[in-house]
Amino acid sequence: MRRLRRQVLLLLALTLSLSLVGLTGTATGQAIKNPDTFIQVSFGDWDTFDYAWAYDTSSHTIIFNVYEPLIFYDGGRVDRFVPRLATTVPSVANGLVSADGRTYTFPIRQGVKFHDGTPMTAEDAAYSLRRFLMIDRDGGPTSLLLEPILGMTKTRDDKGNLVLRYDDLQRAVQVKGNSVVVTLKEPFGPFLSIMALWSNVVSKKWAIANGDWDGTAATMAKYNNLKRESSAFFERANGTGPFKLERWDRAGKQVILVRNDGYWRTPARLARVVFRSIDEAATRVLMLKAGDADSIAISRREQPQVEGDPDIRLIDNLPWLRADAFFFTVDIDTRGNPDVGSGRLDGAGIPANFFSDVRVRRGFAYAFDYATFLRDAFRNQGTLPKGVIPPGMLGFNPNAEYFSFSREKAIAELREAWGGQVWERGFRATVLYNTGNVVREVGARILKDGVEALNPKFRLDVRGITWASYLAAMNDGKLPVFWVGWVADYPDPHNFAFHFLHSDGTFPKGQRFKNDELDRMVTAAIKETDRDKRQKLYFQINQKFFELAPSVSPVHQVVFRVQRSWVRGWYNNPVFPGTYYYTIFKG
Amino acid sequence: MTAFVLRRLLLLPFVALGVTLLIFGLLQMLSPQMRAALYVTDPRQLRAIDDIIRTHGLDEPFHKQYVGWLGRVVRGDLGWSETAKMPVAKAIRTFFPATLELTLFAVMPIIIIGIWLGTVSAVNRDRVIDHLSRFFSISGTSMPTFVWGLLLLMAFYGAWQLFPPGRLSLEPSMYVLSPKFRSYTGLVTVDSLLNGQIWIFVDALRHLALPVTTLSLVSCATLVRVTRSSMLETLRQDYVRTARAKGLESTVVVNKHARKNAMIPVVTLSALLFVGLLNGVAITETVYGYPGIGLWGVTAAIQLDAAAVAGFALFNALLLVLGNLTADVLYAVIDPRIRLR
Amino acid sequence: MTTDTAPRGAALERPSQPRTLGSSQLAWRRLRRNPLSMLGLAIIVAFVLTALLAPVIAPPKEGARDPYMMPHEGYSPDPQPPRPGHPLGTTEQAFDIFYGLVWGARTAFRVGLVVVATAVTIGIVLGGISGYYGGRLDETLMRIVDVFLAFPGLILAVVVVAILGPGLERVMIALALVSWPGYARLLRGEVLSIRERDFVEAAKALGASDPKIIARHVLPNSIYPVLVVSTLDMGSIVVYAAALSFLGLGAPVGYSDWGQIVSLSRSWILGSAGNALQYWYTVVFPGAALFLFTLGWNLLGDAFRDILDPRLRGST
Repeated sequence: MRRLRRQVLLLLALTLSLSLVGLTGTATGQAIKNPDTFIQVSFGDWDTFDYAWAYDTSSHTIIFNVYEPLIFYDGGRVDRFVPRLATTVPSVANGLVSADGRTYTFPIRQGVKFHDGTPMTAEDAAYSLRRFLMIDRDGGPTSLLLEPILGMTKTRDDKGNLVLRYDDLQRAVQVKGNSVVVTLKEPFGPFLSIMALWSNVVSKKWAIANGDWDGTAATMAKYNNLKRESSAFFERANGTGPFKLERWDRAGKQVILVRNDGYWRTPARLARVVFRSIDEAATRVLMLKAGDADSIAISRREQPQVEGDPDIRLIDNLPWLRADAFFFTVDIDTRGNPDVGSGRLDGAGIPANFFSDVRVRRGFAYAFDYATFLRDAFRNQGTLPKGVIPPGMLGFNPNAEYFSFSREKAIAELREAWGGQVWERGFRATVLYNTGNVVREVGARILKDGVEALNPKFRLDVRGITWASYLAAMNDGKLPVFWVGWVADYPDPHNFAFHFLHSDGTFPKGQRFKNDELDRMVTAAIKETDRDKRQKLYFQINQKFFELAPSVSPVHQVVFRVQRSWVRGWYNNPVFPGTYYYTIFKG
Repeated sequence: MTAFVLRRLLLLPFVALGVTLLIFGLLQMLSPQMRAALYVTDPRQLRAIDDIIRTHGLDEPFHKQYVGWLGRVVRGDLGWSETAKMPVAKAIRTFFPATLELTLFAVMPIIIIGIWLGTVSAVNRDRVIDHLSRFFSISGTSMPTFVWGLLLLMAFYGAWQLFPPGRLSLEPSMYVLSPKFRSYTGLVTVDSLLNGQIWIFVDALRHLALPVTTLSLVSCATLVRVTRSSMLETLRQDYVRTARAKGLESTVVVNKHARKNAMIPVVTLSALLFVGLLNGVAITETVYGYPGIGLWGVTAAIQLDAAAVAGFALFNALLLVLGNLTADVLYAVIDPRIRLR
Repeated sequence: MTTDTAPRGAALERPSQPRTLGSSQLAWRRLRRNPLSMLGLAIIVAFVLTALLAPVIAPPKEGARDPYMMPHEGYSPDPQPPRPGHPLGTTEQAFDIFYGLVWGARTAFRVGLVVVATAVTIGIVLGGISGYYGGRLDETLMRIVDVFLAFPGLILAVVVVAILGPGLERVMIALALVSWPGYARLLRGEVLSIRERDFVEAAKALGASDPKIIARHVLPNSIYPVLVVSTLDMGSIVVYAAALSFLGLGAPVGYSDWGQIVSLSRSWILGSAGNALQYWYTVVFPGAALFLFTLGWNLLGDAFRDILDPRLRGST
């Protein structure tokens, strides 16, 4: 017993001494912790740092600070560009865009050095772009540029054989003196805005030395649909950007960037940027409060926990190029499907084509309480929906006619649906969301409560399923009503119109929705080069989106940023994948 | 003894085969589309699902997938973990040391507190101190780990800034990653001492304090209960009674006679406790942002990362077989009456 | 073990085996003599009553389709403190905590009973067969048990729920799948020692059939450790289900389930600036329910062991 007591005492003493060490080791008051290091704490992992492979915001944030594109967005504007690794932004006026709108010439900046000290050339820029077009991993970003430049969505046929021809690639992207010349298949309005995000330049020499594609036809097939880990750029980088990738510390779940002192502009003010991944939101909040994080990612739910603290700044109401919608599947796969009840219109289920009647879709849309959704899911930040195109983008119509919560209109639509049978017999179906997504969950419940309040025979269940099941069921057309959001790949309405309304777009495919008129309208709008005419076309598309309601936009979201008050120099551009650290300092 | 150890080790391949069959069998209940979801992080990649299925051969029949996987394992390749973005073997090597370190530090207080409370309870059966110790240990188990974890974090980090989350603070972490620091074991506490960097050692201990406390709180109850009942049983034995009758001081009886014998089931439990902790730290690791193997295992399981879960299970089976073996050997060392056959 | 890990107390813990069964009167007297055991019994009885009387204590709203779904007015993201009409406050999305705790008592019993009963049944059948017949059958069954025990419990449960989809029924299936091997091994050990006993030999000699011997002689004499462990598990299963809720794999949000309600509190353990304990009620009340439930079963389990274990009888 006595010995044990001694052990316990020892343990206590150890704890106490640790506490003392802790006390002395703690920074006091307002002193800036780690003045020249920025610590960003978020959740989730990084995929890869290969600029041609990454398609998630975490990875892209790193790439965005390590590599540089040919042109870049001007400050917070999404429609104006400044030169970056090119010396001039091509335009018809300065003669760098041909009169037919198909050929773009990018004069390449001289005197820029990669992180390893070698000079950057036009050949590097061309190689980088060709590699981006050629890699085309399954579900990667390649199609964004492949479509305008080569007029194809994939480099492989349905059997997985490479169909991209090397000659086409060389012809589309050429080096002429100190310039890179890109020839498009057809004029494509948003081409420059895609280039401003996706034309990162890497060192060809470095790539080859590290075992990546050598730029020849012979090895193209080998590197097409490259495995993530086979890329030379997977966890290392040699860019021209203001920060160098020091290390991806896999064991510590952190990524470390250090300042590039040989940067071609004035070097950045921060000496180091550290990204840490912590899954638990409450832990991130505590780290921010303790000054161990300079900025954190949190959701609206945690917002009250960081408000009212003078050391923390919450910047709200930042525009976001994002659209959300709840989608109706017009031809549901009812085989063995638990979410359609009996599978018939008998009051205990819904038939496969239940949502093919526009009145059902519009009835649901009117039954949704938009104001409550905005208040309870977003703390009233954001705006009531005006359609499929988010505010701040060409084609957004602030005066558009769109759904609002109306019991009467909902009843009027649903009374007419399926010749009155829906109203008479009632139905039962399920609205689905992916578990963990609180916003979608609240939205689904608001829809349920709104629809069920119309008629006691209406029954909507709400069910959360895992992301894997959600995605698979969406693909299989098994979800009667589902929620998804889409963040812009580049700031142009086509990105939304196509994926929400065109029958080849991502979501209509899952919905089994096809409307020939809409398809024509979306295709016509992208080919139009006149800005005002384009705007008008998107207004019309949006009107159609309201009339047909293949999906319903519940809100226009905004984002907020949480950072320590000592963070200075931050600015926002809605199209950025993450923070641009070049301008930031602590003081 | 050697024969016994060998026979137990021979079990390993059977268990390993069973474990992996179980996980692959379970995953067969999924459609290829659902298995493809592992590679799809964003709905914008929805259109690529068919390509992904083809690229990764997800629609191949069960036996083909399993046999293919097994063949690679035999050649030493555990496959690729999509959730860790590295090979499974490398992921185990990367994440295991952190968890091992945490477990090594946690197992000491758990055993000390568990045995101490259990003994005190037994000796003072049905008195206030017995009730108090039982209340204490039951309250530890009756709350989910994350509640304890967040409460402790709020107090010791949020309010007093004593014990931060994570594994290392910024500067120590940068130093450990720099070429100046040599990694011998992967355990930061040990490596920092070997490198002569006391400040890193202290920093590592500060980060370990809360997860260790949390684990102790939620894990010592079983040990308290087993020690208590085992002690109660021995205290009733004739030789203890005799010792008491001889007029030996009560503490001597407890320490010299009773506890030694009561320790037998406790030792078994402790060895298993160690293995149990290793695969049970996932939620503690989540709350404290402590990058260990448990966190990876759970993430892989939620996302149905087949190769990762199978590799993780294999590794766990290995630990468990070794843990059981250690327990049995210890058992024989403590109690010479037991012979290993 | 930790609530992180699977409820495998059964595998680790082997309460000493009883030799004879005391009369029930004796058992009751012993139970009554120990105030802690009585406390445990009282707690469990109180919870049983709460569960049975749930519709009276917390009547569902008029026209509510599923009484297990907690009523809510609006979807407010922030919890609100106790106030008239909501005696224990409301949690995230305006769910009434009092209602959830009352109906959650039903859920707790359902989860506990279904999981433990399933696991015990499988454990008894396989463990009994294995122990009684021995030989190759025993060897085979025990290797299967080994495989299940070697599989990390939480991971197995998570995989099963991830495959079947989230939901309470699926959680119960997963937990039963994780728990049965412990019982099987425990019972097998007991049966092994019982089957060599004289009375079993005697029954065999008299020509009784195997099923009859197992049912009449072997099981009644080897079941007590299982009983004790399963009582303890009743409490820990509910906490364990909370861990799955924390990972997003439990009952749907808004369902009256203590684990679900406790995991809703994860974002509210931190208060707001200047008021660290602002949301105390989101943690304290569901936490207290879980604590009392576990405590009740633990005390009862201890009591059972004390009563059923003859070697402890009469000790002070």
